[in-house]
Amino acid sequence: MTGLGAVVRVRLRTRWRVALVWVVAVVGSLVGTAVSVAGLYDTPEKLRSYADAVAGDALVAVNGRVEGIGTLGGVVQDEFGFVAALALPLLGVSLVAAMTRREEESGRLEALLAGRVDRRAPVAASLVVVSAAVVLVVLGSAGGMALAGIPPARATLHAASLGALALVFACLASLLAQLVLHARTVSAISLGVLAASYVVRGVGDVRGWWLAWLSPLTWVERAAPFGRPRWWVLAVPLLVSAALAGAAVLVAGRRDLGAALVRGGAGPARASRLLRHPVGLALALHRSSFVGWLAGAVALAAVMGALASDVVAAVRGNPGVERLLAPGDRPADGFLSVVLLYLAVLATGYVVQSLGALRREETDGRLEPQLVGTVGRLRWLGVHVGVVTAGLVVLLGGSSLVLALATAWSTGDAGGVRPIVVGGLAYVPAVLVVGGVAVALLGLLPRAVPAAWAVVGVVAVVALLGPGLRMPGWLLDLSPTMHVGDPPVGAVAVGGVVGLTLVAAGLVAAGMAGFRRRTVPSG
Amino acid sequence: MSTDDVIRIEGLVKHFGGVRALDGLDLAVRPGEVHGFLGPNGAGKSTTIRVLLGLVRADAGGVRLLGGDPWRDAARLHARVAYLPGDVSLWPGLTGGQCLDVLGAVRGGLDDRRRDALVERFDLDPTKRARDYSKGNRQKVALVAALAADSELLVLDEPTSGLDPLMEQTFQDVVRERRSEGATVLLSSHLLGEVEALADRVSIVRRGRTVTTGTLAELRRHTRTVVHAVVDGTAEDLRDAPGVEGVEAEPAGEGRTDVRLTVDAEHLDAVVGRLHAAGIHTLTVHPPSLDTLFLRTYADSADRR
Repeated sequence: MTGLGAVVRVRLRTRWRVALVWVVAVVGSLVGTAVSVAGLYDTPEKLRSYADAVAGDALVAVNGRVEGIGTLGGVVQDEFGFVAALALPLLGVSLVAAMTRREEESGRLEALLAGRVDRRAPVAASLVVVSAAVVLVVLGSAGGMALAGIPPARATLHAASLGALALVFACLASLLAQLVLHARTVSAISLGVLAASYVVRGVGDVRGWWLAWLSPLTWVERAAPFGRPRWWVLAVPLLVSAALAGAAVLVAGRRDLGAALVRGGAGPARASRLLRHPVGLALALHRSSFVGWLAGAVALAAVMGALASDVVAAVRGNPGVERLLAPGDRPADGFLSVVLLYLAVLATGYVVQSLGALRREETDGRLEPQLVGTVGRLRWLGVHVGVVTAGLVVLLGGSSLVLALATAWSTGDAGGVRPIVVGGLAYVPAVLVVGGVAVALLGLLPRAVPAAWAVVGVVAVVALLGPGLRMPGWLLDLSPTMHVGDPPVGAVAVGGVVGLTLVAAGLVAAGMAGFRRRTVPSG
Repeated sequence: MSTDDVIRIEGLVKHFGGVRALDGLDLAVRPGEVHGFLGPNGAGKSTTIRVLLGLVRADAGGVRLLGGDPWRDAARLHARVAYLPGDVSLWPGLTGGQCLDVLGAVRGGLDDRRRDALVERFDLDPTKRARDYSKGNRQKVALVAALAADSELLVLDEPTSGLDPLMEQTFQDVVRERRSEGATVLLSSHLLGEVEALADRVSIVRRGRTVTTGTLAELRRHTRTVVHAVVDGTAEDLRDAPGVEGVEAEPAGEGRTDVRLTVDAEHLDAVVGRLHAAGIHTLTVHPPSLDTLFLRTYADSADRR
């Protein structure tokens, strides 16, 4: 393939930093988990107690069914399960989408293909680069887990199955990049597939259906690195990856530059009244990503709510779990508070993505003509913050309502609806604190706006892993989600929620003050 | 410099990090004129415009736009200004017509009749998605949005980049119409032909400073006419004629002489008289164009550095 080496060099040169951040973040959080689990569960008795606690079906829907849960590796796999299911596919999708369709959208692919470069080389090169990143993840994770005391062969199998998961989604994204018009759409569809995989894996694991085999997340589990290892399971993701990558390269060799399966046709010749208003334009800008996040959150909430009856049954049959998860009178509350926390973490992603789009308005040059109108800077930013906040309330309120209704339907207990919805809404200020960081960066340090994603990562890791790994108190306190009171298990912490609201307001105010004063566009 | 200038900039300075992007720039634009703002790439034209529009804050110097402070009174002043950015970027998912209305709405609405007429004249399909437009068509959307606004001042940054010659002609017609209706235009460009065709006055900037400013006639007065002649006989007496420089004389055979020289405008008559006395065989006279002025100004200020 002519030019493959050249394109690989170009991609490495422009993307190695981002790829390295992903590798370090994933390996770091996995190895960190392994080390702290090894510290916490240092005797066979403690490991057994952990196994007893999660042996029931209570959190299987969330974290997956881990074979060999009574071993150190099994505990690590269980603890890291949810983060892994999110982080590894995202690694593959975000790297590939940025290296394929986004390059095509920007016109840089055109310049590349005008050189001595085969039409198929750019997509192949992106897959080469992603595969290299995946290999680094596998090597780093296997080595780190082995250092934490997990048998090297088992650690390697687990790391390889996680790498294979990243690869499947990378190859899926590379095919989607040949079929749709925008990198944004590539990410959205891939995340949709991930959400569906999560639901299929969750339902399949709880109900024991063979259907679970359709989900790439199941393949990670079925390799059973800490039970009776099944190396052959790795062949499934590898074959699927090869098929997807092959299809991507084949399509890339045959299609026109800039082509896509679906292109928007002609549209209205005039803008509606709403679109001419700043609020309408803000709605148009944020609509598509909002709908994506809402769909994901509602799907997660619906499935988890539907599985609540299984959780209740499991808790009733397991005194250990009952003690661990249900201090109140509703046995599903512990499970539901975990689900609400996950919805809040998803919502931080929505907020940061939407506010990050404002930075893109600026760098793409669309902010300038807006500010050169009669819309003042504060009003422009205020309208966007308001629209995103309203979206957040709908997102958390709507998904927690769906969770509450699905739970009431599956358990036949309608009394829990109100506390669940109130609990979901109580996370709004906590999520707004993360959004406030993005606004503050936009106003004061615009080039660092993508760093808000690091905040999302820290909040996710601390919120999802922190309590299980008994992280130190100051570290737990860093995540705004820890100050809400853990509803519906605990009562909503009014003081905490008020405090978070003030912090969020302060951050937004700082961002606005900076934005009013700074140069636009600022490179 | 009168006090009712639409734009008045004195000694404008702006740093970006360690780089002095604007280094004491002056600019005065009078009501009702088309003012050409000329300079090579990176001279500071776009930065000056961004300061004028309150997008970038000046480090030093006085800036008045329509009698107000462009930084403090930004939104109020913008109701009277239409702006065409140098880099046009539209919302890829919206149609051209929607982008046009959105851009118009942020400056307080467009004149609908003028909008529709301009869409027609610029041969724009408003139902096409912005991402499907060519570069020239994207430029046309932004241009129509700026020209259709009922603004006192039009600030146009490289307005015809990407336009075909027919559309350039249309653009020039529309700018002349807007001027005849009383609008003031600041036309930033590096296309001399365009500025020559439209501008009443010109400011030339280089490395963040105004090098020269004046009407085209005033600027032309400083430029030299190029004369090329073949005369019967010699042209030795031209070497010491007043106002003449750079005389090159070569024998052209048959006793004739091939002469090239430059002369300033006020001495052209005397030079042609002497050539006539020597017996003109062929004669070409190149009038002073903005090109030579432009190139000479750049070269001069480069030497001075």
